[in-house]
Formats: sequence, C-alpha cells, structure tokens
Amino acid sequence: MPDSRSVYISGSGIVCAAGLCTREVLSTLLAGTCGIAPVRYLQTGHREFPVGEVKLSDALMCDRLGIPEDEITTRTALQGMMALGEALENAGLSREDLRSAGFISGTTVGGMDRSENCYLDFIENDSKNAYLRTHDCGSCSEMIADHFGDFAFIETISTACSSAANAIGLAAEMIRAGEAEIVVAGGAECITRFHLNGFNTLMILDRRPCRPFDAERAGLNLGEGAAYLVLESEESLRRRGASPLARLSGYGNACDAFHQTASSPDGEGAYLAMCKALDDAGLRPEDIDYINAHGTGTPNNDLSESRAMLRLFGEKLPPMSSTKSITGHTTSASGAIESVICLLALREKFLPVNYGWSTPMAEVPVRPNMDISRGTVLRHVLCNSFGFGGNDSSLVISAL
Amino acid sequence: MEELIAKLKEEIIDVLNLEDVKPEDIDNDAPLFGEGLGLDSIDALELIVLMEKNYGIKLQDPSKGKEIFKSINVMADYIQKNRTK
Amino acid sequence: MRKWTAIRPHSLLVNGVKPEKYESSGAQLLSDIYHARVKDWPKFFKMDGLSKLGFLCSELLLREEGETRPGEGEYREDRAVLLFGRTSSLCADRSYQQTIEDAQNYYPSPAIFVYTLPNIVTGEICIRNHYRGESCFYVLAERDAALMASVISEAFDDDVTDSVLFGWLDCASADEFEGFTALARRGESREAMEKDMEKMFAALRQDTESARSRSCGTLGGAEKMNEDI
Repeated sequence: MPDSRSVYISGSGIVCAAGLCTREVLSTLLAGTCGIAPVRYLQTGHREFPVGEVKLSDALMCDRLGIPEDEITTRTALQGMMALGEALENAGLSREDLRSAGFISGTTVGGMDRSENCYLDFIENDSKNAYLRTHDCGSCSEMIADHFGDFAFIETISTACSSAANAIGLAAEMIRAGEAEIVVAGGAECITRFHLNGFNTLMILDRRPCRPFDAERAGLNLGEGAAYLVLESEESLRRRGASPLARLSGYGNACDAFHQTASSPDGEGAYLAMCKALDDAGLRPEDIDYINAHGTGTPNNDLSESRAMLRLFGEKLPPMSSTKSITGHTTSASGAIESVICLLALREKFLPVNYGWSTPMAEVPVRPNMDISRGTVLRHVLCNSFGFGGNDSSLVISAL
Repeated sequence: MEELIAKLKEEIIDVLNLEDVKPEDIDNDAPLFGEGLGLDSIDALELIVLMEKNYGIKLQDPSKGKEIFKSINVMADYIQKNRTK
Repeated sequence: MRKWTAIRPHSLLVNGVKPEKYESSGAQLLSDIYHARVKDWPKFFKMDGLSKLGFLCSELLLREEGETRPGEGEYREDRAVLLFGRTSSLCADRSYQQTIEDAQNYYPSPAIFVYTLPNIVTGEICIRNHYRGESCFYVLAERDAALMASVISEAFDDDVTDSVLFGWLDCASADEFEGFTALARRGESREAMEKDMEKMFAALRQDTESARSRSCGTLGGAEKMNEDI
C-alpha cells in the first residue's frame, strides 16, 4: 500500500516472565538474564518443565489493579489489564480518547485457567457458574478493555501463536484504510494445564531451560504474559499533541499449508510471511538490522525458520535472536511481547541476546546474537510469529 | 522375533489408521518414514506412545525415534532389548 | 443457485440431490463416500470427524466445479477458506479426553490432540488443494446466513482473494454431523450469497424431515416413499 497512511506506535505496555512493566523487562534484557524458572503459580503435576511465569499471584495482580479479589476475572485478563494500563498511560490516552479507539487482542486459551479450576464444580454444583461466561476468548478481551473504559470496538483474534501479531497487523491495516485513528492491539495469554499438557502430548517441551537455535535444543518452555501497542495515525497524533515512538511499517501473513502443527522443512510459510512484510514496508532484505525470530526451541521450528531466513537474507543475515529464551513461549501473546522487545531494542540501541545458546546447529550457518553491548543503531527490525495450522506472520517496526 | 514383527505391524496399522495398508505391504527393512508409508512427525509421536503403552518403553527424547523407527526390523530389535512388559 | 455439496449422517447431497445410494450411515458413510469418490488421500483415515466432513464436502464440490489442483510445488493465494460451525472441535476434544481420563491408563494421543482446534479442518483443505490464501473457522451459536454472507463478502476487501470456499461444518459426535460447502466469487452480492445459503439451509431441513418421515415409516410398517430434494 504505497499511498496509504503511516501507522505510528505511540505507546506500549508489557508484562511477562522478564518483568512486570517495560522498565523491568528492559533491565532484564540489558542485564542478559532470564525469566524462566521452575513452576510456581500453575497448579500442575508436571513440575519437571521450567516455565516463564509472570511473577505474581492472581491476588497480587488484583491488588495492583485495584480489583476486589472476589471479582470474576481470569489470569489472562488480569495480565492483559496490567499491560493495557501501562500502554494507555505511556501513550497518554484519556478515558475520553478510548471512546473513538479500537481494541484488538489475541488469545487462544482465553479463560481456560478458571474453567479448569472450576471444572468439577461446573459438573457437581452451581457455585462457580459465573466463570462459564469468562471461558471464551472474546470475554477475556472485553474484561481487559472494559476495565479502562468504553472502546469504540473490541475484537479478538485467535490464530494460536500468531494471534497477537495478527491483531497488530489488522490494527495497522484499519488505520491505513482510514477505518480507525487509534487502535490498541496485542495479546494476552496465561499458562494453563490445558496447553501445557497439550504441548507435552506433542513432546515439544524441554525439561531444561530452552535453547533456541542451539544444536542441543530439545523443545520449548511455555511462558505467559500480555503486551499491547498503541497504534495511531499521524492526524490523531497531531490532534492530541502526542509524539510517536516508532512506526509499524509492515505486516505479512501467509499459510504454510503443510501440516496441522509442524512447519514445512524449508520454512515456506515463514519465508512468504517475511517477504510480504518487507514488501508491505517497501524495504529490501538488507534494510533489516535485527530479526526477533519466532525461535521456539523445537528442533522443527528453528531449523525450518533458519532455512527461511537464509533463503531471504542469504549470506547477509542480520543479527537475530529468539527472546523466548528469556520469556518462554508466550503463545498467543508472543507477537505483542516480542514487538515490544523490538521497540525497546530500537529505542535503547541494543540487540537482545539469545539466552543459553552455546552450540551452533550443524545443518545451517545460523548463529544467534549473544553480544549484550549497547550502541547499535537500528533502523528497521523484523518480528516473526508462527502459529499452528501454518499461520505465519511477520511485522516490521521502523525507527522514526 | 517373527511373532513380534507380525504383532508390531498390526499395531502400527491400527494406531496410525493406515486403513489401506496390509501387514504384508510393510517391508521389514524399508524405512518407516520418508517414502513408503507416508508417515509424518505426529505418527512418530504415536509410535513413541505405542512403545510406552504396549511395551513399557519410555522414550524421553523424541528425536531418538529417528534411529528406532528406521525399519520394522530395527524397531522390533529395539523393543526386544528394552521392553519392560 | 450455485453448486454445493452437503453430507448428513444419512445422505450425501450434490446440488441438493443424492447422486448415488449409500446403505451406511454416520461415520461409516463418510468412509464409504471416501472409498467411492476419493481413494487417493490416505490421510483421510487419520482425520477427526470434523475434518473428514469438511474434506469430503470440499473434495466433491471442487470436482463438481471441474477444478484441478495446482501441481506439485505450486500454490494459489486467491482462494480463501472460510468455515462456520456450532460445536467447533468438540468431537476431537472428547476423543482426546478419553485418552487422558484414566490415570492408570494415561496415554495422551498426539494424533488426536492435533485435531482439537476447529481450524485444523481449514488447514486440511488448504494442504490438499495447495491453498495459501486467507483461512478461518468461525464458531457461531447457530446457522446465520446473514452473518456468514457478511464475513464472506468482507474477505474480498483485500486485493488477493478472488474466491472463497465457504461452508457450515458441524460435528457433534462421530455419527452426528452436518456440513455443506460452496464457492463464492469476487463481484457477487452479499444478498445473493445469503439467499443461496438460506436455500441450502432449507434443503438440509427438508432432508432432516424426510429422514424423520422415513424412519417413522419404517416403524409404522407403512410404505412411505421418501422424496429426494
């Protein structure tokens, strides 16, 4: 869309294993430490899998948000509220501004955490029936949005691990098309037994902290969290007298059409999504200064994604890393969490590291960034998110 | 061993829903993956579950499956040596 | 009226009529249709009920439309797949639950687990036909032609999509299902889609009625002839 309007990022908020707000996440990234740890909050028999949990109980999250502890909420919604609150404050949006703004949130697990805790009560008695209405994905988005005011519209996108990236992509397309001036977009997802067990069924969980792009990688660690970007048109920024942080300059989505859960060996879908995002941004591969890879740590994804990156970038592969090594795989929220990390890298001039990496893969000449030093000027960064069903998305974030 | 191989073929056909395949169609030395039966990564996981369920063999690292599922002969040999039930 | 294919537990309907007679019903009917009409996609037998239903409906529709699949290594992006249903992946969810129900016999099945999302059926159709366009599965409380037509017509707002394979797919259990698929093309009015879908819903209702009268007829011993639509 060469003639379409630019889309600016005017605020962001994040909560994940690496920190409870942008400042904390930034200090984790700059210190080169990691948020993955043994299970603490999730009720599960699977204590053998490390996870990237948000380091707060539901009660403490309620406390921070000023919500009575007995109010009907879900862990996904509470994390979403924390991240959205920070994003709105960061952008300086008032309650009045929200009346003309949209909210698009990605989630797949939704209110499953409460449903599994109340499941036996649902069957045996009526004491927990209030949680039936918080189960579906849409109700989580509404709970998150309604905590802050009346948004002009609320949408939920559920495309597994690419949900938040697609939410951001849709928001950008709406602003370009002139259908909206401000859209807050991202995703929220807490860890549940449901998807921990499901990923365990697929035998893709690592019993050690995950090591994306390492020859010895043995799967992913689940993470949780939420993040939102405030996307805004130039006119709206001018009207509010607000200043932007960066531009959301490209979005691409493609279907791998290969397998229900596995990526194709040559990463065709990943390649197409990256190409489309670059094309959308009007950029060439050499314009990209950093790639935040999907990099789950599974043998299948990392090899397939590496091949796709090599095909697109050739020998001039820009520095890249998977920050899932620090946050865990935050599934539906990952596209937003990693977009905020890209935004931080761009603003604070550093390259996020691929925590725990040590041995290069034999099959491909791909080595993730391990250099923690600051002072790297980044103009354009690419952020990859790939979901089950071969739903692959890439976003390009550019400096002003 | 012959008996185990025959039983294994039946079990594989059943658990992987290979409706159009008969036991005699599976060559004892041919690779189970790649060409041939057209199996994918999820089928490999089902075979890992099969080994645990029917033979008490727990495989913690799914990538080891690649070696074990080279052929029916290799798989039967592995089961013979490692079975606990 | 556009071409359409529908499958219900007792009938296969192509453009509203039964092209051939099947003695079987439920899950067995799906297998019999595969053996009679498809034959060359053994992955069919690994699918859950919802995917089998969607696969067969789309397969017969595309044949009816005279389409050929892109060759090896070729893909198309101009075809979107937009499906709707009520019970989502409930059927696969239940089968998976059975593999984890008993702590003494706890062997979660990876092959069943991969079908516990409703959009896997859209993926199966895309894989078979080499589609790389937009795809989605919408869960609705009930059949709603107006809403479905609106979602389908919005798919043409991008400049990539030229046609949409759409349909209603619902699989409450292995033997209880109902599905239809049809194609919508760029330039069609939303009203035309809605009108056709209303006709398809009516035809399905009529098929339900005639199945009911058939079974009543058998019970009553009367020689009541069924009317094919």
